[in-house]
Amino acid sequence: MKFRPRVAAVALLTAAAITLTACSGSGAQPASSNGSAVTGGTLTIGALVDVKSFDPAQAHIGHYVQYYQPVYDSLLRREADGTLVPMLATAWEYNSDNTELTLTLRDDVTFTDGTKLDAEAVKINLDRFRTGNGPDASTLAQVSDVTVADATTVVITLKAQDPALLDYLGNADGFIASPAAVEGGKLATDPVGSGPYTLDKSKTVAASSYTFVKNPDYWDPSLQVYDTIVVKPILDTTAMSNALLSGQLNAALLTAKTQPQAKGAGLTEYNYPTDWQGLLFFDRDGTMVPELADVRVRQAINYAIDKETLLAQVGKGLGTATSQPFGKGTDAFDESLESAYPYDVDKAKELLSEAGVGEFSITMPTVSGFLDPALTAGIGQNLADVGITVNWENVAGSDFISSLVQGKYAASWFSLFQGSPWVAVNQIIAPEATYNPFHTTDAKVETLITAIQTGSAEEQKTAAQEINKYIVEQAWFAPFYRPDQIFFTDKNTTTEPQLQQAVPSIYSYAPAQ
Amino acid sequence: MVSFIVRRLISGVVVLFVVSSLTFFMLYFSATSVARNILGESATQAQVHLKEIELGLDQPLFSRYVDWLGGALSGNFGVSWFNSQPVVDSIVGRLPTTLSIVLVTIVIAAVLATLFGVAAAVRRGWVDRLLQIVSIGASAIPQFVVAIVLVTVFAIGLQLLPATGYVPLTDSFGGWLASITLPIIALAIGAVASTAQQVRSAVITVLSRDYVRTLRSRGLAPREILFRHVLRGAAPAGLTVLSLQFIGMLGGVVVLEQIFALPGLGFLALQSTTQGDMPVLMGVVVYIVIIVVVVNLLVDLAVGWLNPKARVS
Repeated sequence: MKFRPRVAAVALLTAAAITLTACSGSGAQPASSNGSAVTGGTLTIGALVDVKSFDPAQAHIGHYVQYYQPVYDSLLRREADGTLVPMLATAWEYNSDNTELTLTLRDDVTFTDGTKLDAEAVKINLDRFRTGNGPDASTLAQVSDVTVADATTVVITLKAQDPALLDYLGNADGFIASPAAVEGGKLATDPVGSGPYTLDKSKTVAASSYTFVKNPDYWDPSLQVYDTIVVKPILDTTAMSNALLSGQLNAALLTAKTQPQAKGAGLTEYNYPTDWQGLLFFDRDGTMVPELADVRVRQAINYAIDKETLLAQVGKGLGTATSQPFGKGTDAFDESLESAYPYDVDKAKELLSEAGVGEFSITMPTVSGFLDPALTAGIGQNLADVGITVNWENVAGSDFISSLVQGKYAASWFSLFQGSPWVAVNQIIAPEATYNPFHTTDAKVETLITAIQTGSAEEQKTAAQEINKYIVEQAWFAPFYRPDQIFFTDKNTTTEPQLQQAVPSIYSYAPAQ
Repeated sequence: MVSFIVRRLISGVVVLFVVSSLTFFMLYFSATSVARNILGESATQAQVHLKEIELGLDQPLFSRYVDWLGGALSGNFGVSWFNSQPVVDSIVGRLPTTLSIVLVTIVIAAVLATLFGVAAAVRRGWVDRLLQIVSIGASAIPQFVVAIVLVTVFAIGLQLLPATGYVPLTDSFGGWLASITLPIIALAIGAVASTAQQVRSAVITVLSRDYVRTLRSRGLAPREILFRHVLRGAAPAGLTVLSLQFIGMLGGVVVLEQIFALPGLGFLALQSTTQGDMPVLMGVVVYIVIIVVVVNLLVDLAVGWLNPKARVS
């Protein structure tokens, strides 16, 4: 019996393969690279998160801004180096004690639904942001009132000074949607702003690809470098790397693991720090682990950790070892604190015996699949070497953060964003800070916090440096290193890393010359 | 036949009810900190509390269950806790991706497995041995390994096919085909291999039956015996394996959807599980149970049509 169908099947498969080859050129279209034209074309970027809602009241910083920036203008715009420049607000001024901020608005801006931008629209958006229970709503906690002085003037009144307010208005808090669209109640999926682009829903597949097309009536064409921007949420880091390497993306954030392949492929690499990683000591009063109340024990742990080796093994060497929780480029940064606690087992043992503690154990949480086994093994080994046993308790990924902020653990490894001093203080140091679940504090810290919040620019800077020095001395944390963000663009694209942001702002992309 | 279908439908509804209720109660006990996860780390405890009230997490378990069940019965599965999209929209938006991959794979698996299985059973000898070895090897390789190799070769190396993403069939046929080709190959290899084995042994069994010998002795053409009688007798076994394959693929596709960044049902299930997005997860569970029940029913009907004895038993 002869089997002709087999031959037919092979022929069919071959034909299919050829057809597929012919119709597969639908990746990212590089912008024209003929040297003269530097605008137009399509920019396709990968995002490690999917947008949760296009409603600016639900906007979030970091990776999420890529979805908001095309469609919404913000009140101020943060340049790549963090400088604030005018956007919807042309000028801003504080009163003498920094409790009232007056914003002057552009008078020539129209939302893409035809509504005109005015002070009332800004008030509606700011009020929605601070009362809408979005992820960043707490950043406007100091705002007591937003008032309309005239059509182009808005006054923001504060309960207490907030040195980070202007930064916030240049970020998630400052995105302004059309009041008519707010009224319409469909902003979550149908964004209406005054931004350089509009969402093209016909070319958008939720969770897969969001297409933004140029807003023809935009007031600042210099921010419209591309005709089209496509943002593709790719939540898996390997898939992200594959998409970039295969030419489906012009730019993407990779990881230490996927970096070598991209580098080998000749893509352009950008390295910049935004986070720090290390141990957070929550129980500084010794409620759960009495030994941690002694500063010498906390210092000993700092000395016991072999940061350089951890960075090499876990972070593939892409980053900088440090002993301070505040980031480079912030007022609090102090170069001399980078190596405040070098790896020194003898010193650690000496401090522990001075403190008079015998062997003890700390229970810390771990999340399988999230915490690198090399990391937990390294920490465990380093601490075991000085007589401290780490009991790792596996928690579900979705419960990790809440278990930390609810004070279920005396200490934990964590990776945290490094913002401006005031942002960092409110994140990890202040008595009510998110990552101070035991609310530990002391008089010196409180004085310095007040100085950062209410002092003049010069006083703020001095206080920020002092608080950094103080908490490093007091070993409130055991920082390991600042891992690099590893961002890549293809050869047709350039960008500029954004200070204190995981990914560049969309305004920073341009075709390569 | 009608009472057979009615019996099957009733048992399907019972399965659906039991599975979804059990899932609901199991999820409730594990969902502890979802409000915090929705709002992110910078949210205050007061914000988290507000969110819990907004989501109804402060309500007693039973009343939440009744609410959910009432909604589900009227086709309303609520909205996602994380992106406020209606659950039904999310699922309906992702069904085409998953079904495209799984259905095309099943068709390919059915055709190729029959081809290979029958060839091995009829030819025996070296053809049989070769197919046996290849299919054991093929079913032993994990899908994700195949997927990674395919991406490395065809997407990154040769740049012939996209490494990630899904193009809806309604947008472009070529784009659709290109976007599902690599995941389908990764999924099909194992399915073809194990189905071919089943087809092979079913065909061998049928070939050794008395009635086949009788047909042969009456001088019927071997081709006619094979296509009209043997295949019909062997088909139920193949169909059953395919239906099991289909159900297994709904699980296997989760990994592939992650590797190829496809917006499918599997990845939605994975994501909503890790986030604790209960409404979405419940919706996914209900849809998948419905799909499984329907597929089983269709296979039973097909087997009954092919083999009248099955209808009676």
